[in-house]
Amino acid sequence: MSLERKDDHDHDAWLESRDDLSHIETVYLTVLMWLDRRLRIVDYLEMLENLYYKVNMQMPKSHTEQYGLDNKFWYWYPLYALGSFSTLAYIVAAISGALLGFYYTPGAGASESASLAYTQIEFIMVELNFGFFLRSLHRWSAQVMVAAVFLHMLRVYFTGAYKEPRELNWLLGIVLISLTMVFGYTGYLLPWDQLAFWAGQIGVEMSLSIPLIGEWVAQLLFGGFTPNPATLQRMYILHVFFLPFIVTTLIAIHIGIVWMQGIAEPH
Amino acid sequence: MTDDTDTTDERTDGGGTGIVPPDDETPTWSERKARKQGLSRLTYEYFERARREDQDLRQQSSYVERDVLGFPAWPHETVRNLSLASFFVGMIIVLAATLPPHIDAPANPSTTPAVILPDWYLYWSFGLLKLGFLNPDLSLLGGEKLMSDRTYGVVANLVVVGFVAIVPFLNKGSARRPVEQPFWASVGVAGVVFAFTIAVLSIKNLVPIGEGLLNDLTFLLPIVAGFISYAVLKSMREGYMFNLNRRYYRLRPPK
Repeated sequence: MSLERKDDHDHDAWLESRDDLSHIETVYLTVLMWLDRRLRIVDYLEMLENLYYKVNMQMPKSHTEQYGLDNKFWYWYPLYALGSFSTLAYIVAAISGALLGFYYTPGAGASESASLAYTQIEFIMVELNFGFFLRSLHRWSAQVMVAAVFLHMLRVYFTGAYKEPRELNWLLGIVLISLTMVFGYTGYLLPWDQLAFWAGQIGVEMSLSIPLIGEWVAQLLFGGFTPNPATLQRMYILHVFFLPFIVTTLIAIHIGIVWMQGIAEPH
Repeated sequence: MTDDTDTTDERTDGGGTGIVPPDDETPTWSERKARKQGLSRLTYEYFERARREDQDLRQQSSYVERDVLGFPAWPHETVRNLSLASFFVGMIIVLAATLPPHIDAPANPSTTPAVILPDWYLYWSFGLLKLGFLNPDLSLLGGEKLMSDRTYGVVANLVVVGFVAIVPFLNKGSARRPVEQPFWASVGVAGVVFAFTIAVLSIKNLVPIGEGLLNDLTFLLPIVAGFISYAVLKSMREGYMFNLNRRYYRLRPPK
């Protein structure tokens, strides 16, 4: 009995028996067999083949097509695109935000003059090529996203799309709209201008007025009882680290549930 | 090695699990699942039942798959979606290019600006923080307030968001369109109008009227708007019913 592993399917003998192969074909088959023995890529090739055929499949008829409701509901259609629009605006904001992140530095400093964050924003707006436009794009995509999300919620409310079996997605949507506003708020504070500072003051006071745990919340989120350098640092980390991960995951789940349950059209 | 392991046709091409128990004593996976105890047993039973239900439904259904169901995903659907997406992104770019934001003076803790406002989408929340005038002084507590005005504002925010969250559990049934559910549609209209009035309240001095009147209008206007939309939707529904009835009686005239 040999300790050497046997090749069950005897690939090498099979390769020997094929004497009609060109040099390129032999090399190709050898590499393919080497990879396949280790990674079993045949399964994945099958999946790819499957996908290729599925791309040519046809979309199922939508509810309106199926029941011939087009004549009654064509004016609703733009309202049904608001969810996609907010997702698109989110993607635009993510890309422009990543580009802005190359140049922005959070730093409030204790001095009376302009902070590091403020001077960086000034640099982006004045010195940087396309910086003025980049900041404008980030801000406008955020505004558009919030507006689209609000209108999306109204559309869902007035067409009764939140009803069974879609209650969970409605709750998830409430969480998402709140997180979107937190996203906006943390971003509003980042330039560290007068508006940002006093909006931060309002935020601190709001969290301080929560009964029992108010002071603890203010310490955790704002790093003190007045806006200070720690506040800016925390808002920055919330804005570029925590919220992107959380919100992206929740959006994926939100859209995934819509995919699974189908769009609720009024009938 | 017994005979039956040799005679069974092992399918390793994805036909089955491809896992063969080494002898008769070794339970198969379905046997193991069936033998489970407690919660996992319950889960197993539920999923088995659900699978059977699906099977029954599929057998009862008269759904026939047609050759052409609709629009091809590629290229028609994809090209349409891509063009809509680029149009929308283009709109954002035009907005950004024509109306760029400017920046305020640097943060200065020693000078309070005349106007302190959050971004527009938080006006409603900011307005709810200013509802201190609704916070009752309880004579039971000797004219003291139960909670401070600030806490009252935060609680008002929680109440509003909480109400919106439980809507699916209050409004049930299969009605979808506003005409089919005039009450809930008018609640929605009242809510939208309230969002606007409370935003106006948050920006004090935006409208040149007295504070008392502004406070009253903040709550009266939504109620009025709700009543009007309720009346309109009700009469629209009556109109639909009238048409339906007319058609019905045209076909079957009363004796």
